Amino acid sequence: MFHVEHMAQSFDVIVVGGGHAGAEAARVVARGGLRVALVTMIREAVGRMSCNPAIGGLAKGHLVKEIDALGGLMGEAADAAGIQFKVLNRSKGPAVHGPRAQCDRELYAAAVLGFMEAEPGITIVEESVSSILHSDSRVNGVVLGDGTRLAASAVIITTGTFLRAIMHSGETKTSGGRFGEPSAETLSDALAGFGLKLGRLKTGTPPRIERDSVDFSRMEEAPGDAEPRPFSILTTSICLPQVLCHLTYTSETTHELIRQNLHRAPMYSGQIESTGPRYCPSIEDKVVRFADKERHQIFVEPEGLNTTWLYLNGISTSLPSDVQEGVVRSLPGMEQARIARYGYAVEYDFVNPEQLEATLQVRGVEGLYLAGQINGTSGYEEAAAQGMIAGINALQRIRGEEPLILRRDEGYIGVMIDDLVTLGTEEPYRMFTSRAEHRLLLGCDSVYERLTPVGRRLRILDGERLERAERRIERMYRAGGELDRAGINPDRETLAWLGELEVTLNEPTSIGRLFQRHDLDPRSMLASSGFKARYPDLQAALGDLSSEELDGVLSRTRYSGYIEKQAREAEKLVGDETLSIPPDFSYRRPGLSREVVEKLEYVRPASLGQAARVRGVTPAAISILRIHLKHNGRPGDGRQRSETRAL
Amino acid sequence: MDEFRSDASPQLLDTIVAPATSSGRSALALVRLDGPAAREIVNTLTMSATLPVRRPVLREISRDGERIDDAVVTFYEAPRSFTGHDMVELSIHGNPLLVELVLRAAVELGARIAEPGEFTERAVLNGKLDLVQAESIHDLIASRTRLQARLSLANLEGSLSAQAGELRERLLFLISRLEAALDFAEEGYEFISRESLEETLRTSVALVQSIRSTYSRGRATREGLSAVILGQPNAGKSSLMNMLCGSDRAIVTDVPGTTRDLLRETIEIGGLPVTVTDTAGLRQSGDTIETIGIDRARRAAADADLVIYLIDSTRGMDAIDRNEVESLESVLLLFTKTDLSPAPPGEMGISVKDGRGIEEFLSVLDRQVSERFAPAEGTPTIVNERQLAAMMGCEEALEGALKASTEGMNEEILTSELYRAANALGNLTGAITRENVLHEIFAKFCIGK
Repeated sequence: MFHVEHMAQSFDVIVVGGGHAGAEAARVVARGGLRVALVTMIREAVGRMSCNPAIGGLAKGHLVKEIDALGGLMGEAADAAGIQFKVLNRSKGPAVHGPRAQCDRELYAAAVLGFMEAEPGITIVEESVSSILHSDSRVNGVVLGDGTRLAASAVIITTGTFLRAIMHSGETKTSGGRFGEPSAETLSDALAGFGLKLGRLKTGTPPRIERDSVDFSRMEEAPGDAEPRPFSILTTSICLPQVLCHLTYTSETTHELIRQNLHRAPMYSGQIESTGPRYCPSIEDKVVRFADKERHQIFVEPEGLNTTWLYLNGISTSLPSDVQEGVVRSLPGMEQARIARYGYAVEYDFVNPEQLEATLQVRGVEGLYLAGQINGTSGYEEAAAQGMIAGINALQRIRGEEPLILRRDEGYIGVMIDDLVTLGTEEPYRMFTSRAEHRLLLGCDSVYERLTPVGRRLRILDGERLERAERRIERMYRAGGELDRAGINPDRETLAWLGELEVTLNEPTSIGRLFQRHDLDPRSMLASSGFKARYPDLQAALGDLSSEELDGVLSRTRYSGYIEKQAREAEKLVGDETLSIPPDFSYRRPGLSREVVEKLEYVRPASLGQAARVRGVTPAAISILRIHLKHNGRPGDGRQRSETRAL
Repeated sequence: MDEFRSDASPQLLDTIVAPATSSGRSALALVRLDGPAAREIVNTLTMSATLPVRRPVLREISRDGERIDDAVVTFYEAPRSFTGHDMVELSIHGNPLLVELVLRAAVELGARIAEPGEFTERAVLNGKLDLVQAESIHDLIASRTRLQARLSLANLEGSLSAQAGELRERLLFLISRLEAALDFAEEGYEFISRESLEETLRTSVALVQSIRSTYSRGRATREGLSAVILGQPNAGKSSLMNMLCGSDRAIVTDVPGTTRDLLRETIEIGGLPVTVTDTAGLRQSGDTIETIGIDRARRAAADADLVIYLIDSTRGMDAIDRNEVESLESVLLLFTKTDLSPAPPGEMGISVKDGRGIEEFLSVLDRQVSERFAPAEGTPTIVNERQLAAMMGCEEALEGALKASTEGMNEEILTSELYRAANALGNLTGAITRENVLHEIFAKFCIGK
C-alpha cells in the first residue's frame, strides 16, 4: 500500500473517488498502460453499492453490457456477486430486454477492490482531496487532505453525492454523503474556482430491515430466471447460490399514517428544497401525488447471502424514525419488522453538465474530467459508464490520440452523455430506453458489434475479451447469413412438413424471410425434426449459438425491416452531426433570438446536430446557423440569408 | 454599424426598419421598426422622451432640425408585439420620397433595412407564430380572391395548427404509454390496452386522411385552377373565351400564352382564380403544325381541372366529338350558337351573339367550381406541398404502426413507427421530444421505487 508522505508523487492520471465511476476510470487508464492514483477516503468503500443491491435493469442493463464491451469491470463484478439474475421485459423485443442482477453487496465491493488491486498500474491512496492544482487552464495535480501534493496531467473527479452533502432523516440533519462517511466540503469551492456553476440535487434511500424479523409467507415470491444470463462476455457460469426476492404492498393504513405526518417530512416541511428524481419518488411523494392509487408495490431484496439485511425497494423516505417504523410495520409480512437502518435523503452539489465537453472534460480546463453523480446523474451504471468515457478520454489525451465520443446511434452511453452535455439536467438523470431514439439499433445483443471494434482501436481490451467478442460476432454473422441462404420451396414434401407445424407457404423464399412472418414461431420450427433433417448447415450454424445469441439472430431477422428503417433515419441525421461548430464560434448573429444565443453560448455544442437538440433552439435558428457555418462563420453577412427568408 | 453590441447589457438583436406598405403614392404609408433600439430611434425622430404603449399618438417627425412629416406613432412593447420585440409603427403620408427620408433617418440612428420576410421570421423565431401561420400571412397577402383570403385567414387563426396539434397530442398520449410499458414494466400497470391503442390509431389515421384530403381544395384555392375550352374548329371557342374575359367578372391577371396556339387568361370563377385556355380546333389534319397544336390542346385538356367542350348546335354532336368527350374524365358539354339552332333537349346551350343561356351557364360553372374545388367554410385546409408531405409521412407511419400492432409487434416497434409519424408531423407542429414523453409519464403514473 502507498504510504502518504508530504512529498510530491507523480502519476499520469489521478482519479478522485472510488465509486463505480472512479473504479472504471482507474482501470481503463491502467489497462491503457498509464499509471493512475485512485484517491478514496476509505479503501473498503471502493465499489460500494450505496443504494439498492442490484446492477442493471431496464436501460441500465444496456449500459452494463456496453461497459463490458469496452473492457469495463461492472459486468464482471456483478456476475461474481450476483445472487438473482433476471432479464426484464422478456416478453418484449430483444432491443429492450433489460438484464439485471441482485448482488451480494459485500461480494460486489470486494470484487471491485480486487480488480483495482490486481492492476499493477493502480495505486490506491486513502485520503481526501482538498484542492486541484493547475497552472492557467491546465490541471497538474491535486492536494490531499494531509497537505501532500500528487502530480498528474489529468484529474478525474468522481465524488458522487459527497460534495457538501447533507443527510436528512426526519428533523435531523447530518453532514455526510453516505451513512457513516464524511462529506467532501472543500472540493465544491475548488470546482467553483474554475468558474463552474454548481446546482443542488436530492436523492433518497429506503429503510433496511433485519431479515429474521420478517414473515415471508405473507408476501409474494419474486424469483429470478431459471437460467441466469451473465453480463460479461468473460463469464462462463454463475457460481453463487441464487435466492428469492419478495413483493409486498402498502395499504390505506400506510397512506393515512404518512398523510398525518407529512409536516415532519423534510421535503414537505421546507427543510429540503432541492430537486429529487421524478422516477424515484419518496413514499411520501407517491402518497400525495397519486392519492387515488390504492396500493404501491414494494420489492423486498436481500442485501447479500450472509448479511442479515433486507432492502425495501419502493419506499424511499426521509420521514422521522418513529413514522418509518409505523410505515414498515403496516406492510404485510413486516408486522414485527425491526429496522436495521432508517431511510434518509441526501442533498448534494452537482456540476451542471452543460459545462462539459462530450469527452467529459471540463470546457476550458485541460485535463480536468468529471464523471458520475457529480454530473447530475443517478445510478451505478450511469456513473460507471461515465467513468469509462472520462478514463478513456484522459488516456487518449495523454497518448495524444483522438478522443472517444460515442454517437447516439452507437450506444446508450452516447445517448446519455449527449443528453447531459446538451440538455443538462434538473433532476438526477437516469437512463431510460425511451431516451434512445435509435433504440432498435442499440439492443444488448448487438453490443459487441457496436463497441468491440472501438475497444480494439483504443487498445483497452484484454486478449481474452477481444477474442471471445470477435468469435461471438463471427458466429452470429454466420448464422444470420445461413438463414438468408437457406431456401424453402412449396413442394409437396415441404408442404407436408409445414402442414404439421400449421405453416402455409405459397412461393419459394428463404428461411430468413419466412421467419419474418408474424404468424409463425421460428423456435418451434427450429425444434422440429423435419428442420434438422433438411437444413444441416443452418442447424450447425445455429447450434453454435448460446440461447441469448440465438435470440439476437432471430430477432434481427424478424425485425430487419424496422431496424433498417431506423438505421435510415439515423443516417439522415449524420450530416448535421459531422458539421462541426468551431469552439470560438460567435452566435451573435442576426436572426437568432437572445434566448437562443444565450443557450448556445452556455452549451457550446460541438456540431450542428447537437445544437439542434439544445432546449429552446428552433428549426429556424438551425437553418440560420447552418448557413453561417457553411460560409466560414462570417458574422453579419446578410447576403447568404435569403434561404431562410422563404416565409 | 454597431450591430452586435456585447456590452454589459447585451442586446444581441439589431433593429430593423422597412415600409410595410407598397411603394407608390397613396394617402398613407406605414413604416415599421423592430428591435431593441426601435423606441429610442423613434424618440429621437419625434424629439420626445416618452412613447405610450399600444396607444397611437400624433407626432412630428424631423431630422437635424428639419421637419419630415407628421406621423401617427404606435409603440408595441416587448413581448406583446407581432415579433415579440419592441416595435414601432409610423403611419406617415403616402409619398415614396417621405418614406425614403424616414428610412434614411432611421438607418442613420442605427437601424438597418429589413430583408424581405424578416419581421415574420422574427415572429416565428420568438414563437409568436408557427410556421403554418407564417405561411398563411404570406398567402393572405398574396390572395387574389376572397375565398383565398378567407382560407389564409382561417389557417392564420390556427385552425390547421389546431388540428395538427390535436394529432400531436394523440401521438404523445400513445407514445408515452407505450414507452412507459417498456421502461416501467415492473410497476404493475397496464398503461394502454391493445384495443384502445388500435382504436386511437384508427381514428388518428382517419383524422390525417381528412386533413390530407383537403389538399386538392387547398391547392386549388391557393394556386388556382386550370380550365380548357375544347371543341372542333368554329365551335365558338374564341367567342366564349372573349365572353368570359369580357364579362363583368374581373380579369385577375394576364397570363401570356406560352405558345401561339394556346391563349390563356385568369378569371375568377366560384371564388377561385381559374386560368382558362383557348385551344386549337380539333380535327383530322395533314398540316404538321396544326397537328402539333391539336396534340397540345388534348394534353392541356387531360391535365386540366375543368374542361368545357363546345359543340356547334347547328351541326350537332358527331363521331369526332363523341370520341373526344369519351376520352376525357370530366367534361362540361356546352352547345353554342343557340340563336341559330336550339341545343338538344336536356343539354346546356348558349348564344354569345344574343346572350341567351349565358347567365345559366355561368352559374353552373360557378357551382361546379365551388362544389368540386373550394374548401368548406371553417375547415382547416392544407395548402402547400410541405404541409402535404408532412401529412402523407404521418399517415404512412400511422398505418405502419397499426399494421405492426395487429401483427402483434411489441411496444419498441410500435413506438419506432409512432416516432416516425411524430417526426413527420413535427414539421407542422414542433417535434415530440423525449423529455415531453417522460414528463407525460411521470405526470400521469406513479412510477418508481
